[in-house]
Formats: sequence, structure tokens, C-alpha cells
Amino acid sequence: MSSTTFGGHAHEAEHAHGHEHTASFLRTYVFSLDHKVIGLQFLFSTLLWFAVGGLLALAVRWQLAWPWSNMPLVGARLFAGEGGQISPEFYTMLFTMHASIMIFFVIIPILAGAFGNFLIPLMIGADDMAFPTLNMLSYWFMWPAFVCMIISFFVPGGAAAAGWTGYPPLSAVDSAAPASLTGQTYWLIGLIFVGISSMMGSVNYMTTIIQMRAPGMTMFRLPMTIWGMFITAILQAFALPVLTAALFMQLLDRVLHTGFFVPEGLIVNNATAGAGGGQPLLWQHLFWFYSHPAVYIMILPAMGMVSDMISCFARKPLFGYKPMVYSIAGIAGLGFIVWGHHMFMSGMNPALGMTFMVSTMMIALPSAIKTFNWLGTIWGGKLQFTTPMLFALSFVSMFIIGGLSGVFMAATPVDVFIHDTYFIVAHIHYVLFGGTAFGVFGGIYFWFPKMFGRMMNEFWGKIHFFLSFIFFNGTFYLMHILGAGGFPRRLADPYHYETFAHLLALNRFITICALGMGAAQIIFAANLIYSIFLGPRCGRNPWHANSLEWFAPSPPGHGNFDAQPIVYRGPYEYGSPEVEIDYYPQTQPPPEGAVALAPAH
Amino acid sequence: MGKFWSILFLLVPILGIALFFWAPSAGYWLPRDISTHGHQIDHLFNFILVLTGLVFAATEFCLFWFLWRYDAASNREPVKYTHGSHNLEVIWTILPAATLLFIAIYQMNAWADVKMRMPKDLPPTLEVTARQFEWRLRYPGPDGKLGTIDDIHHVNDMHIPFDEEVLVELKSMDVLHDLFLPHLRVKQDAVPGMTIPVWFRAKDVGTYDLVCAELCGWGHYKMKGRVTIETRAEYEKWLEQMAAAQSATQEPPKAEE
Amino acid sequence: MAIAADSHHLAGHDSHGHGHPPKLQYHPGLPISNGKLFMWLFLSTEIMFFAALIGVYIVIRFGAPVWPMTHEVHLSEPIGAFNTFVLICSSVSVVLALEAAKVNRADQAKMWIIVTLVLGSVFLGVKLYEYNAKFAHGIFPQYPRSRIYEKPDAYFGSAVRARATALLTKYKENPQDATKYADRISLLERLKAEAEAASADEHKLARLGAEIMPMPVDESAHASGLNDEYPWLKMPVVIPGGNMWASTYFLLTGFHALHVLVGLIVFGILAMKTLDVAWAGAIENIGLYWHFVDLVWIFLFPLLYLF
Ligand code: HEA
Ligand code: HEA
Ligand code: CUA
Ligand SMILES: [Cu+2]
Repeated sequence: MSSTTFGGHAHEAEHAHGHEHTASFLRTYVFSLDHKVIGLQFLFSTLLWFAVGGLLALAVRWQLAWPWSNMPLVGARLFAGEGGQISPEFYTMLFTMHASIMIFFVIIPILAGAFGNFLIPLMIGADDMAFPTLNMLSYWFMWPAFVCMIISFFVPGGAAAAGWTGYPPLSAVDSAAPASLTGQTYWLIGLIFVGISSMMGSVNYMTTIIQMRAPGMTMFRLPMTIWGMFITAILQAFALPVLTAALFMQLLDRVLHTGFFVPEGLIVNNATAGAGGGQPLLWQHLFWFYSHPAVYIMILPAMGMVSDMISCFARKPLFGYKPMVYSIAGIAGLGFIVWGHHMFMSGMNPALGMTFMVSTMMIALPSAIKTFNWLGTIWGGKLQFTTPMLFALSFVSMFIIGGLSGVFMAATPVDVFIHDTYFIVAHIHYVLFGGTAFGVFGGIYFWFPKMFGRMMNEFWGKIHFFLSFIFFNGTFYLMHILGAGGFPRRLADPYHYETFAHLLALNRFITICALGMGAAQIIFAANLIYSIFLGPRCGRNPWHANSLEWFAPSPPGHGNFDAQPIVYRGPYEYGSPEVEIDYYPQTQPPPEGAVALAPAH
Repeated sequence: MGKFWSILFLLVPILGIALFFWAPSAGYWLPRDISTHGHQIDHLFNFILVLTGLVFAATEFCLFWFLWRYDAASNREPVKYTHGSHNLEVIWTILPAATLLFIAIYQMNAWADVKMRMPKDLPPTLEVTARQFEWRLRYPGPDGKLGTIDDIHHVNDMHIPFDEEVLVELKSMDVLHDLFLPHLRVKQDAVPGMTIPVWFRAKDVGTYDLVCAELCGWGHYKMKGRVTIETRAEYEKWLEQMAAAQSATQEPPKAEE
Repeated sequence: MAIAADSHHLAGHDSHGHGHPPKLQYHPGLPISNGKLFMWLFLSTEIMFFAALIGVYIVIRFGAPVWPMTHEVHLSEPIGAFNTFVLICSSVSVVLALEAAKVNRADQAKMWIIVTLVLGSVFLGVKLYEYNAKFAHGIFPQYPRSRIYEKPDAYFGSAVRARATALLTKYKENPQDATKYADRISLLERLKAEAEAASADEHKLARLGAEIMPMPVDESAHASGLNDEYPWLKMPVVIPGGNMWASTYFLLTGFHALHVLVGLIVFGILAMKTLDVAWAGAIENIGLYWHFVDLVWIFLFPLLYLF
């Protein structure tokens, strides 16, 4: 029955949208209901934020390499007050906003928002999302968040400065952090909006994937990308409301001076503060109940995209499709019972810590399975070293490092020493930048032809990859060594401790590499913008890939498909003996007479 | 070109592991451990380092070899058309599972020693109250009891006796802080509204850094203290001096902002 | 409202063939409309949201050294129970509305929707009344508005004195007031004197506190003190654990009330349409939401009023 009802949406979208030529500019490009346009809106917004977050990071690096020294060029203009230097308040603000922006405005929205929006309907063979209006809203709810974050930089006291984890009481009691009076409040409001946007998105994605798959597209014929998006949507749906609740409570603590997270009899700056009676650890539990699943929200879609790219450019079926699916589900499931591993040193009951340690160890398992299956996929293939492939491979390579460092921290006694040191910072960046961000770069190079009907420049793409790869490792690998030295994170100037003074040299090197990495991203930006307008045009299926999006025109018109896609097989039938060519699109009917052998998986 | 990229990926394990051999020799490594429990932590660190090192080398080298071997440009044999192998899946599920489970169990004892097995009926040596941005120390006075008028108050400069079980009662006045003694392998958040016991035993004398390792505001970076480990005799002499100095000025030392 | 709108389309439209682009066929995973699936998924997120709030309440309540009895904070079970009843009835009336819409009895459907609307409004009205009762007793979730003191300590004493002096100066400003308010002034003088006499003596202060707002001896009656006798007095009160109670109470009931409000708005919109069978889908989905809101309250009521 319901297959008919979708007509409603196609229809609605149609009217809202009008036909390409008659449609008003606003309707087509700004308040568009078309999932492709919305996806691109997300893509460009997040890339711009990536630049902002990155530049903040570079400022962080500057301070760590040349503490309390004038910053070249921008310094004099930015901090005239401190004579061109970064002030300690400003430093706290820098890494807080760096992380908040990178996580909530770059990685999460670029995966779910940009790729999720663009790819889900195309890859499952739908003409749009189940709820186009809701989809548009999910983008426009990001804007209040954007605005909050931007003005928070200009309010007295500056933007939030309590770390991206916003631990109370520091974050909840104004007098505790002079550097963020209203800034923290804007931060909270901003995040609440991001949350609402993600909620709309995730529920929409789940409905779309469950209900709007093309005929023959069974759940186990979905590309890994879609599985990644689907499981991520589920994680969002169940974890995010908890964060939203916590954010509201911290907001109340700040503006109404309730005492959810503020304990009794607090004395800040020699003055008693607020109502009290609450529990600071409660926030940490609520925050990590979301934010640990969030770290998987930040990598599962990338894992999916990488699986697709690797299989495509190895010209070989994905090794162990079902184990791959189950391990994603496993990560999601376990992801809900490991949040305590961020709180080993927090004063939480150590016995509880031990149980969290065990579950955390276990969550390495599904990731192991995925890693080995990726290796299995490239084994015995015919590898094509295109830019997307290189980024996909570097995802695997870097994720292994980041994941293994996770095992150190999961070991509670070791965490006693490395907690809140640069070992953590190394871990963060290996999984988030070396992992997700590289996967995202790959995804952009891979689906760019579908997005714009043109190819990105391969040569400059490879340069971009090479520089990013070198400088990335130059920047973050050494942080493991810093961490082993006990070098604490979030310190504006660690060098006045005799224990850490000798680490300045390493930090200088790291900063230089970081600057290099920033420069490398400019190449990417240039290549991206150039190729959008002047890249060589391409056909429907430049990579000879199997999944449905390549069956649609590039770029797909309104309604995506010019013919009804019907799915005959899984998305990874590369090098199948059934056909001469080395790929076998999901939509291609089996040759006459050939017994359609069901894929082994 | 494929060969070139393969080499690039080969550099990851080679340089990665080389660096971990170079670092200690170049003096970039865990600070010298002067605690009696520290060796467990350091041992676990090294143990996991070796284990993950092996996994790292193995996986990254496989990655390189497959890239090198199966580069479309040079690989003449047809693609191995397979959707996976049930046996392999089982193997590489069981093996890591076993390894991880082993690590999990192997470390429990150390954790219990550091955070759970609090020494029985040991009177607190001192009370540490963290505050933006200083460490307030409180020693029992002549009467040997904490929380009495003759308590000895001091700031940032912690003294503890050598080779004795030391019990610290950790508190916070305002926000979260973290008592981090790198050389003693001690780290514990200070949470307002909670009193958290921290215990350790120093097996060497000297003066070391006391770091605040939990973001506590703009002055977090300068919330620095020192811990001096000295013999019983010296320690008691110091306490007496403090007591004397204090009775001279009945005020506990004021905090300098 | 996207929910309502989309589900309306679900129910409203039938497939018209479009020449270009082709109307795509799908292979849906579940035999229910998108709107309904959406609503179920949305509600599951809502469950997590309230689970978090209720979790917080439980953690804080059982972490707290003391927690006030319902009567100390002027909660009345009968009122709460009445509200529960109202909400349950409203759930029934939505179902009736749906039944009517299904058999295309638009007028009846509308009638039941309006009944729901009214019942919902009654619930909110009663909530407002309850909130007012709290405010009247100086119970606010927020500082410095709140007049709650955890224990009868020196702070409380000085607060009483401060309040008394403030009022006195107000009444003594001009002579004719002074004569008009003679009795009030004498009362205030007395309280001020007692507060001063008590200084830091917990027992005296406790007695003073009991006079201003007595702790109910048993669960039975709501003993009334000076604050109830003289609404204008608005003296600080002593409620052990009162502040955290207020924070959590207003948090839980507040967010629930917000959800009720949203529901009412939707019903308001529905009430303006002709609710023929085409709207059955929409009504069903909103009904689901409404049942959920109802269910949450059925958890909150015992949690806040009975235990
Ligand atoms: C994409 C994001 C992402 C991902 C995927 C992960 C993955 C993991 N993380 Fe990470 N983590 C973060 C993002 C992420 N993390 C962030 C942002 C923080 C810091 C938050 C803050 O404080 O600011 C953090 C902090 C963090 C901590 C807290 C540290 C501290 O504050 O003291 C811990 C502790 O257990 C941890 C553990 C793990 C583990 C065990 C995994 C595992 O999932 C990793 C599993 C993968 C592998 C193990 C590698 C591949 C497997 C093999 C090659 C097989 C063989 C392996 C073995 C047999 C060991 N992480
Ligand atoms: C996805 C997440 C992400 C990403 C990508 C990054 C990227 C970077 N991070 Fe980030 N970082 C975090 C997440 C991330 N970080 C988190 C969660 C923390 C913890 C914060 C906390 O403690 O609370 C952290 C903390 C953190 C610290 C520790 C601060 C401290 O504890 O004192 C440092 C220090 O070196 C650092 C450095 C960097 C650097 C040099 C980069 C560089 O790789 C950035 C390089 C990129 C650029 C410079 C972008 C330039 C782009 C352009 C020029 C154009 C872009 C293209 C278009 C516009 C089309 N980060
Ligand atoms: Cu105290 Cu950081
Ligand atoms: Cu985590």
C-alpha cells in the first residue's frame, strides 16, 4: 500500500520545487526541498567551518610552539590588548571552539548532513527523502547554531572556554570562568539547535531507508555507506536526546541558577555560588552517554564510504559483507555501554570503572573485524591508485593507529598516566582527522562527479593527498611521544613545568607540520572550486561502480532517476564471472540463460 | 605510480616503530618512576605498546604488501572473485577477542592497587584542597589530627615522607581540578562536594612537579605545585617550622592571585 | 508540524502518474505509512529524552541528604490525581475522534478533537494553578527569586531580618500608611526582633521558621503559618532539600507541560479542518503523540506526588 503513498511526496516536492526553468532562485538553491541541493548546502557550510576550525587549531599550535610571542600578521590585530600575544583566556577559548566547531559543525554534519542527504536517496533508488520539508528544516536549523557560535566570539568575555566537554561547575558558574560569561550560554543554545537538526535528519533517514528502497533492494543489498548512515541515524536518535536534556539543564544552571550540576556550598572567587545540591559527575555521565556514541557517529558513515571506495578501486567484491554489517551494528550496540571510559579519573566508583574498561576493550573487536575485512578486500584485487582510493587506504592505515592508541587508554591503569595528556590528543586526531576527515576527502573526490557532473583534478588531488598524509603524521604522530612524556593537554604554557620543558622542540616541529597541513587544504579548496566550474565533464559512471547512484545522470535531475531502477544483486559484484566487463551494476539484468547465482554473502 | 604509493604506506609502520625506538634514547619518554606502584603502570604501558606494536606492524605491512603486490599496473593474474571466507572471519574474531580479553583481565590487579585497595586504617597524611588556581595543603598539627585548630596550612609546596604509605584526602573548593604527580604516577580529579582518597608511596627523595591536569579556567596552565619527598626526620623538621611560623602569624597563608 | 503536514499528504494524496521524472516504485520494509513510522521513531527519541530527565531526578533525589515531603512543598495529591484523570480522558477522546474520522463522520471527529483540546487546556490550567501555589510560597526553581533556605541557619535569620526591614521602611514612608498598617508594622517589628534575638541559635531560628511556614507534622493536613495568613508577608522559608526539589520538579513538569502545549496547538489546527477520512492518518499520528505525553505524565505523577 505504502508504495503508492510516496507519490504524495514526489508530488509535493514537485510543486514546491516547480520545474527547473520556472523555479524561483530561492526555491531551487536556498529553500530547496531537493535532497541533493540540501546535501550540497551542508557540504559547503561544513567546509567553510572546517577552515575556521582549522585556523583556530593553527592558533593553538602557534601558542604551543612559541608561547607568549607575537603572532605574525594577525596577532597585532587580534589581541592588541595583550600586545599581539595570545592570552591564557583566549587559549582556552581557542581549543574549546576548535573542537566544538570541528565536531559539531564539521564532522557530524558533513557525514550525516552532506553525504547522508546526497547519497541516501540516490543509493537506495528513491526520488527524494521521505519528508523533504523536514529535510530542508534540518539544514536551516543549523543556522541559528551557526549564528550563536559566530556571535559568541564577539560577546564580552569571548566564546565558550570550558573545553568541548563543557564540564561543570566551570561551565555552569559564571564567576568560575570569566573568559566565558555569555559565550558558554551561546555555546549551549547553539548545540541545542545542532541537536534538533540532527534529530530531524536521523528520523528522516531511518524512515527513508526503511521504506523507500527500490524494488529488489533488500537490506542486505544496501551499500555499506547506507548501512553506516542507517546505524548512525539510530545512534543519533537514541543518544542525542540525552545530550539535549543535559544541555537544557546546564542552560538552566547558567541562566536561572538552578543547581543540577552545581554542588552544595561552592566557593568561587571567595564568594558562595548558586543554589547547589547538584552533582558535577552527573553532567559527565549524561554528556558521555551521548558523546561516546557520537564518536562512532563520527566514523561509521566514513567507514561505510571507505568500504565502497576500496571495493570499487580494488575491482573486487567487498570481503565479508555481512560481518562488516554486523560489526557496524556491534560497534553501535557496545557504543552505549562504554561511556565511562572517559571518566576513569573523574572520581567515579573505580569498580564501575573496571566494568567500563571491559566493555571498552570489547568494542575494539568489531573495529578489528572491519580492519581485517578491508585488508581482505584489497588482497588479490587489481588496485587503481586514484585519489579517492588513496584517501580510503589512508583511512584504514590511520584508523589502525588511532584505534590502537585507544587500547592504551582503555587499559585503566595506563589511563592513570596518559589521561588528559597529548596521548589523548593524538588518539582524537588519528581517528577523527586521519580517519573520518580523510575518508570524507576521499568521499568528496569519489562522488564529486555525481554531485557536479565534472571530475576533480587527479594530479592536484594526489598532491593534496600526499601533503596532507605527510604533514598529518608529522603533526600528530609525535603527540604520542608527548603523551608518553606526560605532556598535559589544554595547557596554554606547559613549559614552566620542569618535567615538560624539554618538549618544546618537538612542539615546534609539530606546529610547522600543522602549518603545512593547513596549506595543503588550500590546494584542496582551489581544486574543488576550480573543478566545480571548469573540471572535465563526465558520464554517469566514471569509476565503473555498481551502486545505484551511478545509474542516475550526473548530476541527477529533479527526481534523481530517468528510469525505474530495479535491483538484481548486491553493490560489490566487481570482477564477476557472469559478465565480461569487470563490474556488474546492481540494476543490470542477468544475461539471458545465466542462472542468477545469488551472491555468496 | 602504484609502487610509489605502496612505499609511502610502508613508511608508516617503519617510521612509526623507529620513532618509538628513538624517543626513549633521545630522552623523550615516561618521566622516571619514583613510586612503588608505578612499575605496574609502566609495565602495562610497555606491554600494550609491544602488543599493539606487533598488531600495528602486521596490519600496516599487510596493507603495504597488498598494495605493492596487487597494483593493477603490474598484477597480471585475474581478480580473486570472492565474497569472504567464513573461517577467516572466525579466526580474526576469536584472536583479537582473546587478546583483548587477556589485556582486560591482566590489568585488573594493577587498577585495584592504584584506586581500589585503599590501605586499611591509615590516618590521612594531609588534605589537599584545589582552588582556582592553587593547591591548599592542610597537615595535622602537633595533636596529629586533621580538622583541628592547630592544623598546619600551606599552599602549593607539598612535602611528604620518603618510603611511607601516604594518604591524601583530595577536595575542591570551586571547579574540577586534577592532582597529577607525573613521577609518582598519580592522577585523580578533585571534585567539589566530594572527598576522594589518593594513596601512594614514594621510593626516592627529591622535589618534583605537581600538575593540575583538569581544565579549571584561564589559569589552569599556571596551577603549579611542587612535591618534596624527604626523610622522616627532615619531614618532621619541616612540619615543626611550619607550625612555628603559623603560631607566629595565626593566619593561614593567604592565597596570592 | 512537518509531521502533521507530511502525514496529511500520506493520507491525502494518491499516486498520480508523472511523465517526467518517472514515479518510482518502492519496496517498503514495513507495512505502515511513512508518517506513522516517523511518529514511532520520533517518539522513541522522546522516550530517551524523558528517560534522561527522570534519570536525573532519581539520581539527584537519592543523592540528596534530605528530600522534602510532598506537603512541605505544598503538593496536593488530589489535584495531581485529578489532572491524571483529565489527561487519560483526553487520550480516550482522541481515539474517539480517530474512530469518527475513519468512518468519515467529520463533525463528530471535530467534536472529539475539541473535547481533547478542552481537556488538555484544563490540564495546563491546573498546572498553572499549581505553579502559582508554589510561587506564592516562595518556591521558585531559580535564584535569587527563590525564598527557600535549606536549614534554619544564620543566613536564614538575616534573610528574615532583611525582608522585615524592607517592608517596614515601605510602610513607614508616609504617616497615613503607618497608621493604616499599624498591625502589619507591629507583626514585622516582632519578627525582626525575634530574628535578631535568635542570631545564630538554630533552635530559635527553627521555631521562627516553623511560625512563618510550619512543617506539616503528619501527611494529613497542610498546616498554615504566617506566610499563608498574610500573603503580603512573603518571608523566607525553611525547606530542607527544597531547592533541588524545586529545580527537578519544575524541570520535569515544565518539559511535560511544553509537550502538552505542542499537542494542543496541533489539535487547534486540526479543529479548523473538516476531519473527513482523509485526515484519519494525521489524527492517528497526533493521537500516538498524545498517548505518549499522557504516558509520561503517568510516570511523573507517582514519581513527584506519591513517593
Ligand atoms: C571517531 C572517533 C573515535 C573513535 C572511532 C574512537 C575509538 C576508540 N576510542 Fe576514543 N576518543 C575519541 C574519539 C574516538 N575514539 C575522542 C574525541 C576522545 C577524547 C574526548 C576528550 O576527552 O576530549 C576519545 C577518548 C577516548 C578515551 C578516553 C581517554 C581519556 O580521556 O583518558 C578512551 C578510553 O578508553 C578511548 C578509547 C577508544 C577505543 C578503545 C576505541 C576503539 O573503538 C578503537 C578500536 C580500533 C582498533 C583497536 C584498531 C583496529 C583493530 C585492529 C588492528 C585489530 C587488532 C587490535 C587489537 C587486538 C588490540 N577513547
Ligand atoms: C574532527 C575533529 C578535529 C580536527 C579535524 C582537528 C584538526 C586539528 N587539530 Fe584538533 N582537536 C579536536 C578535534 C579535531 N582537531 C578535539 C575534539 C580536540 C579536544 C579539544 C579539547 O581539549 O576540548 C582537539 C584539540 C586539539 C589540540 C589540543 C589543544 C590542547 O589540548 O591544548 C591541538 C593541539 O595541537 C589540536 C590541533 C589540531 C590541528 C593542528 C589540526 C589540523 O589538522 C587542522 C588542519 C586544517 C586546517 C588548517 C584547515 C585549513 C582549511 C583551509 C585553509 C581551507 C579549507 C577548505 C575549504 C574552505 C573548501 N587539536
Ligand atoms: Cu586546576 Cu586545572
Ligand atoms: Cu569514548
